[in-house]
Amino acid sequence: MSDAYLRFWGVRGSYSAPFESHLGVGGNTSCVEIRVDDHVLVCDAGTGIIPLGNQLMGQSDIRKLLIILTHYHWDHICGLPFFVPAFVPDWNINFFGPGQCDQEIKEHVSAQMQAPYFPVGTETWLANIDYLQPAEDQLINYGPLSFNYQNVHHPGTTYGYRVNVKGKTVIYVSDNECLYLGKSIDRQYEELNEEEKLLYDEMKKEEYAAELDLVRGADILIHDAQYTPEDYEKKRGWGHSCYIDTVNIAIEAGVKELYLYHHDPNYNDDAMEEIYQHSLSIIREKKSSLKCHIAKEGLIVSLD
Amino acid sequence: METDSPSVVVIDDSPSIKTLFEAGLRDSNLELKVFNSAENSLDYLKQHKPGLLFLNIKMPGKDGLTFLKELRHLPLHKDTSVVMISSKDYAQDRSVAEKLGALDFITKPMPIQVITDVINKYLQPSSSN
Repeated sequence: MSDAYLRFWGVRGSYSAPFESHLGVGGNTSCVEIRVDDHVLVCDAGTGIIPLGNQLMGQSDIRKLLIILTHYHWDHICGLPFFVPAFVPDWNINFFGPGQCDQEIKEHVSAQMQAPYFPVGTETWLANIDYLQPAEDQLINYGPLSFNYQNVHHPGTTYGYRVNVKGKTVIYVSDNECLYLGKSIDRQYEELNEEEKLLYDEMKKEEYAAELDLVRGADILIHDAQYTPEDYEKKRGWGHSCYIDTVNIAIEAGVKELYLYHHDPNYNDDAMEEIYQHSLSIIREKKSSLKCHIAKEGLIVSLD
Repeated sequence: METDSPSVVVIDDSPSIKTLFEAGLRDSNLELKVFNSAENSLDYLKQHKPGLLFLNIKMPGKDGLTFLKELRHLPLHKDTSVVMISSKDYAQDRSVAEKLGALDFITKPMPIQVITDVINKYLQPSSSN
């Protein structure tokens, strides 16, 4: 195994999918580990963080990590009550996520571990726990890693992260309903007068440029691709992208490698294979050099 | 410090939104100030209490909901009239905005007339120039 890598520990969105028909892709919810030597950065704490924690407990050289949360919906935090390193005294765990200050981040992380929803609270965590203050410039350094964060289109305050690691850029956008405004404009276009049409045409361009800027420069992009076009129509406004939009944005932004992520728990391995094959056909049609993958549990990607 | 300015302040990163509000205010003599980020508006808002503050949610830098929470901690803005303007038409965003005392939540794309109507609804005639 290389010194620098990322590993997918959980790739599902919404809720876990521990069904035999789904296990080729995986059933745990969002969690990605980015490792450089003994520095561990964990993106989100869905059920995937549980096996990650168990593995870390067996590695005597590591006793610290930083967990960055995109937001506090359950599928991104529900592994924390079962994350063993938090309950062990010699561990140092830092958290970061949306919030006005470190205290607010602490409140959000702790809220799910309260009676009657869970038998013990975060006061039973024996590790040294710290909550990082939001940075003025939105840039945070962590050993050989650094990252910044941006707001994305999802219910509540939700971040996407741009992680710099060994000269590479890994962009993690687990939940983002891309091009939502443009689609809203299209649906209401005929109700607008000519002056409004001109203005909203401009606004569509601005939104499109912002979506490209969000992911531009990514060597590796891990992005929400939860729905097929048919399901997106039914679940428009739920805060997730149709995989076709994700692929097209990645192509247009010049992303090198795309991992479709935050898979719908209703999609079994066959459905995911269809999404993959269609994504590849879009890339071929556009004669793009984009490399596209389905994020799968256990998949390790070298960052060297 | 000006605490009774009748201005309309808009915080939104979209350059087109300024044109949209200029159109919405074209028949009024209200002062319009537009900032492209929460951070860039802060010096002004520390000194001025607008008649009505329109606040986008998803922007570069601080998001509108986090910023509104901070504003409410400033004595000057404890009760400032705020209307959210966002493409984020999500129940969670509406709920948080309401808890932070936002008067209304209008979703993009809104016709220009909606801007005019909202200003007329929430800006008392006595506070306009």
